[in-house]
Amino acid sequence: MTDKIPTYTEATQRLEAIVALLERGGMGLDETLKLYEEGADLLRLCKTELTAAEGKLNELQLDEIETQLQTEEQ
Amino acid sequence: MTGRGEVTTGPLPIGQFVQLVKQTVTRDPLFKNQALKGEVTQWKQYASGHTYFSLRDQEGQMRAVIWKGRCAIDPSIKEGSEVIILASIDLYVLRGEIQLNVERIEPVSVLGELEKAKRLLVEQLRKEGELDRLRQPIPALPQHIAIITGAGSAALADMQRLIENRWPGLRRTVIGVLVQGPRATEEIVRGLAAARRLSNPDIAKRRGEPPVDLVIVGRGGGSPEDLWAFNLEPVARAIIASPVPIVSAVGHESDVLVSDLVADLRASTPSDAIERVVPVLPELHYLLDEFEERLGVASRRQIHDSKQRLSILHARLRVAPMAGLNRAKANVLTLSSRIKVSTQRILGLQSARLAHFEASLSAIHPQRVLERGYSMTQTSDGTVLSSIDGLKIGQNIILNFADGSADAEIKKTQLNEGAK
Repeated sequence: MTDKIPTYTEATQRLEAIVALLERGGMGLDETLKLYEEGADLLRLCKTELTAAEGKLNELQLDEIETQLQTEEQ
Repeated sequence: MTGRGEVTTGPLPIGQFVQLVKQTVTRDPLFKNQALKGEVTQWKQYASGHTYFSLRDQEGQMRAVIWKGRCAIDPSIKEGSEVIILASIDLYVLRGEIQLNVERIEPVSVLGELEKAKRLLVEQLRKEGELDRLRQPIPALPQHIAIITGAGSAALADMQRLIENRWPGLRRTVIGVLVQGPRATEEIVRGLAAARRLSNPDIAKRRGEPPVDLVIVGRGGGSPEDLWAFNLEPVARAIIASPVPIVSAVGHESDVLVSDLVADLRASTPSDAIERVVPVLPELHYLLDEFEERLGVASRRQIHDSKQRLSILHARLRVAPMAGLNRAKANVLTLSSRIKVSTQRILGLQSARLAHFEASLSAIHPQRVLERGYSMTQTSDGTVLSSIDGLKIGQNIILNFADGSADAEIKKTQLNEGAK
């Protein structure tokens, strides 16, 4: 994994790969533990993302959003 | 009935008014048997034999009808055909709608001007490689979706309802724009620009929300001209330029729109877009639980396997030194027997050679020669003579035989014939 925090998509893709590797078997104890830890970290990250993603609904007319953005960009 | 310019008293019933309008417009020679040019849309041939359509161009449009058997219809005429018609104005009083009664219809070209422009645009985009460009992936868990569509439209209501069913907490910003009519193109482009600004992390931070990471732009179905904004270059360019993935979600069944061709994902309707990009929250939780389960099971099995491999290795390790020693012993035995055999062979060869050597040596010993009847002549000082050269008359010599020697005196020397 890179130092950058993975996105949810990247995290689930890596998780899939890790689980597949472990299920295929034939690796050493060290590697197993390392993969397990990485997988567990990714799982935590995904669960946090799922709850953090909850947000609100904005419904705006084009003029309203443009006015908002204009004040925010100043 | 009153005619034009006559004064009436009190309010006029609407039916009478429409009737009046009909008489006026149908009487006007300008509206009778007029040749008109335009593009065919909403072309529908009914089982009754009547054909309905609209004739349009960029400035305006009007409904038209070809009554059953009124004229021949070229079979190549279809949606988008450019045609010339000969028609008269009529007014359907019951609904107060103006329509053209068509007397003749002729195709001008297979494609209408709009279709031609669309074709050219698609060709241009293909040449620029925009149709084959790498599409941006749709995030599995969108943090913030921007939806650009008609404010208060049925399509928006459908999308909202679906989102509520799938993931009520999805963070979304709906940007209400005009999606048909002359201002639609400009508003859709501005909506896309606003979504682009919302995807900027700095602006999002100032707004206290995550940046937009997915945009849905679309509207419900309609006639081709209603959807035409999605076939125009400004909208296509704005979609191509987007830093975040864009879903084209325009309700239509037949023709592919330019926005469909350039978007990162093409949905057949706004609802389809929601179903394809908004995850069902319980399913996501289930997926993560499943990952957790599989991760645990696979890891435990791996550890178990590792342990087993370790104990097998351990057992083999205990046996290994003994096996090594035995092998070494066997090696030593083989080697020593091979050494013995080789030594004996070498010794045998040597003694045979020695015996042969001895035989040769004894054969050339001088004593053996004397025994065969030869004798050896020496001077008195012991020099062995092999020539008469240097012998003097009266010189004493010694003759050696196998069993003794005799002193003798030279009486005469004689050189052999031919000897030097």
